[in-house]
Amino acid sequence: MDLLSNLALGIETAFTLENLLYCALGVTIGMFIGVIPGIGHLAAISMLLPLTFYVPATTAIVMLAGIYYGAQYGGSTASILLNLPGTPASAVVCLDGYPMAQQGRAGVALMMTTVASFVGSFITVIVLAAFAPPLASFAVAFNSTDYFSMMLLGLVAAAILVQGSPVKGIAAVLLGLILGLVGTDVSTGIQRYAFGLTFLYDGINIVAIAMGIFGVAEVIANVGKVKGVQSAQKITFRSLIPTRQDVKQSIMPMFRGTGIGTGVGILPGTGTSIASFLAYAVEKRISRHPAKFGKGAIEGITAPESANNAAAQSAFIPTLTLGIPGDAVMALMLGALLIHGITPGPNVISDNPSLFWGLVISFLIGNVLLLILNIPLVGLWVRLLKVPYPLLYPSIVLFIAIGVYSINYSHMDIMLVAVFGVLGCLMLLLGFEPAPLLLGYILGPMIEENFRRALMLNQGDMMVFVERPVSAAFIALSVLLLAWSAYSMVKDRRTARMAAGQ
Amino acid sequence: MKTIFVLAAGLLISSTSALANDYPTRNIEIIVPFSAGGGNDVFVRALQPVLERELDTNLVVRNVPGGGGAVGLTQASRLPATGYNLVAVSDGTLTQVASGNVAFGVDDFTFIAKVLQEPYLLAVSQDSEYQTLEDMQAAIAEGTTVRVGVSGVGSSAHLTALAIADALETEFSTIPFDGGSETISAVMGGHIDAVVLGGAELRSSMSSGRVKALATSYPERSDALPDVPTFQEQGVDFTTSVFRGIAAPSGIPEEVNDRLVEAIEQAVQDEQFLRSAGNLGTDVETAYGEELEAFIQDLAERMQQQADRLN
Repeated sequence: MDLLSNLALGIETAFTLENLLYCALGVTIGMFIGVIPGIGHLAAISMLLPLTFYVPATTAIVMLAGIYYGAQYGGSTASILLNLPGTPASAVVCLDGYPMAQQGRAGVALMMTTVASFVGSFITVIVLAAFAPPLASFAVAFNSTDYFSMMLLGLVAAAILVQGSPVKGIAAVLLGLILGLVGTDVSTGIQRYAFGLTFLYDGINIVAIAMGIFGVAEVIANVGKVKGVQSAQKITFRSLIPTRQDVKQSIMPMFRGTGIGTGVGILPGTGTSIASFLAYAVEKRISRHPAKFGKGAIEGITAPESANNAAAQSAFIPTLTLGIPGDAVMALMLGALLIHGITPGPNVISDNPSLFWGLVISFLIGNVLLLILNIPLVGLWVRLLKVPYPLLYPSIVLFIAIGVYSINYSHMDIMLVAVFGVLGCLMLLLGFEPAPLLLGYILGPMIEENFRRALMLNQGDMMVFVERPVSAAFIALSVLLLAWSAYSMVKDRRTARMAAGQ
Repeated sequence: MKTIFVLAAGLLISSTSALANDYPTRNIEIIVPFSAGGGNDVFVRALQPVLERELDTNLVVRNVPGGGGAVGLTQASRLPATGYNLVAVSDGTLTQVASGNVAFGVDDFTFIAKVLQEPYLLAVSQDSEYQTLEDMQAAIAEGTTVRVGVSGVGSSAHLTALAIADALETEFSTIPFDGGSETISAVMGGHIDAVVLGGAELRSSMSSGRVKALATSYPERSDALPDVPTFQEQGVDFTTSVFRGIAAPSGIPEEVNDRLVEAIEQAVQDEQFLRSAGNLGTDVETAYGEELEAFIQDLAERMQQQADRLN
């Protein structure tokens, strides 16, 4: 069997001492980077890029890739413990992870997100090994029309993220969409709402928004609350172990999250955030107890966590098989490969089998390492909550500032974090949620860009959105979802009225 | 004791010229006005280890992305002209100036060296109906509007696409994308008819066989792409190239400039660098001093003409 001999080659490559060491180094760095709010893997990877000149190409990529997917594991840690997303993709984990921590189930949440991360990554790596080339063709077949309809579905799903008042939820999404307008318009090259400020030419830094409205807002909101709920808790080993019920409730969400993450991840330019938001929305919609969401539902953390890890792994598919990097980090790794004379593409599998299969096996090793590394750390992370507020929160603000600065080396981005921190605090006081705003911000520009491009390519014919089968399916789903939401809202109101009448 | 005194005196006397003569005495910082992984970034990172050896100092690469290069270039133009602040430049630098939206001009930089060049390619999907430039020209003659993807409105690739359309005596329907990878992905999927992008950016998708170049903008076929015919040999009068090089804020001391030129001259002959450049799909094509100045002036004028037409 061909696959077996390929896997054997991969094992042979990945299990050299050098590759194992660099893999372990990569995932460890990645994990810590993920945990620290704001510090992105892009900065870490570009700092370590020169190293690739001194070690063989495979070894270098094994390490850089380890940082990339390792960071996805750590991202949810601060979301759960402190309501502070380590990466924008893990912002959605705040919704149920933080309530779990407040209920004294932080250990369980961390344990389950680690398992969910592992499940998502591991399955996707196997999919990558088996089906990379055909999946790559699927990614290319997706055109602007399909992107638009998929993003539209995402936006409709944003309405589902809303937990309180639907009107406030929609207002938050709209604010996100408006913020998304800032920057250079892709279709015309004109700067909108940039006010001549060069740091706004590429739009508002998403990390600045995420760290501001989630992180800094949380820090400000906690000022004066002398003692957190958590600090009184005793951490026993037992409190870290998920119940059988937790595991049972998470199995299907993890699989669904993995499926969504894999699908979204192979599309160039979509990113892991959309995958985790979509996975959350799907879980909440199909759950028999949607009311549990936002109050510590285990599905609300395991599904998105599986999804963002799956997306991080499947992003390697277009990079390796087509030579199309899905995001900046992938572009960086592509550059590293090119310097070494390896041209990614379908030929990479035939010309450089030891690189491709070695990398695949290293992904598996890396994920097992991350699982082993993370579980003992859960106890340690939970202890973070015992650190008194006057020490913990100022250091968080410091880390956020360093992290945001490390992305563009722009001090203006730190100012933006402060501005969005104040905004986030206002939203918190007025009962608006930050998650729909973030989703609106992520999706808005993509929706607009793809909508205009689709019309440009089809001479302004709107029918194109329902003529293409993939796009039509997404549109139909969006309409169904809207209708369903409207129906259940009416029904809820009627039930409430009847209940009040009695 | 006496020696120290003499040394100190000597230092005092020569302190003004020592500044330039001993260059470099500390780390040199080089701004790449794009995020890590782009063409400019990869170029600088390939040059970095060899140039460090030549100059016997550390070269610190700092990515300052934003506004298609505007943010990093603006920053670089305002740094002290000591030779310890360099910036990676390319056609994009001149396009930025031509666009008129930026706070710097060509005069704000001293161009030290042109190091690499690569062609612009007009490329299509492997199963495109246009298998040759002639096919495309025939379709144009029948009144078809060719849809060409470009990465970024007003980018140098966009301006080049307009110039190619001129040379083909037609108008493309240019479809702007966010970046090179989205553009390539769209042409692979057949959502657009063709792309105009730099050779390096198209390299991996071409070697995968999914994308095929119809013509190169070089005056002659290159060793890296021997199978790609030039526009000229297909009867279309169009030649240009993308350049990548190193500049500094204007007004750096002449000795410093000379020292850098000398180091870069050595570096580009290094085998490791030559191999990296070849791997990246670029050609080493150097120019310094007056030759470089003339090249930049000429390119700046051409970019200005194209940009004026766009507005």
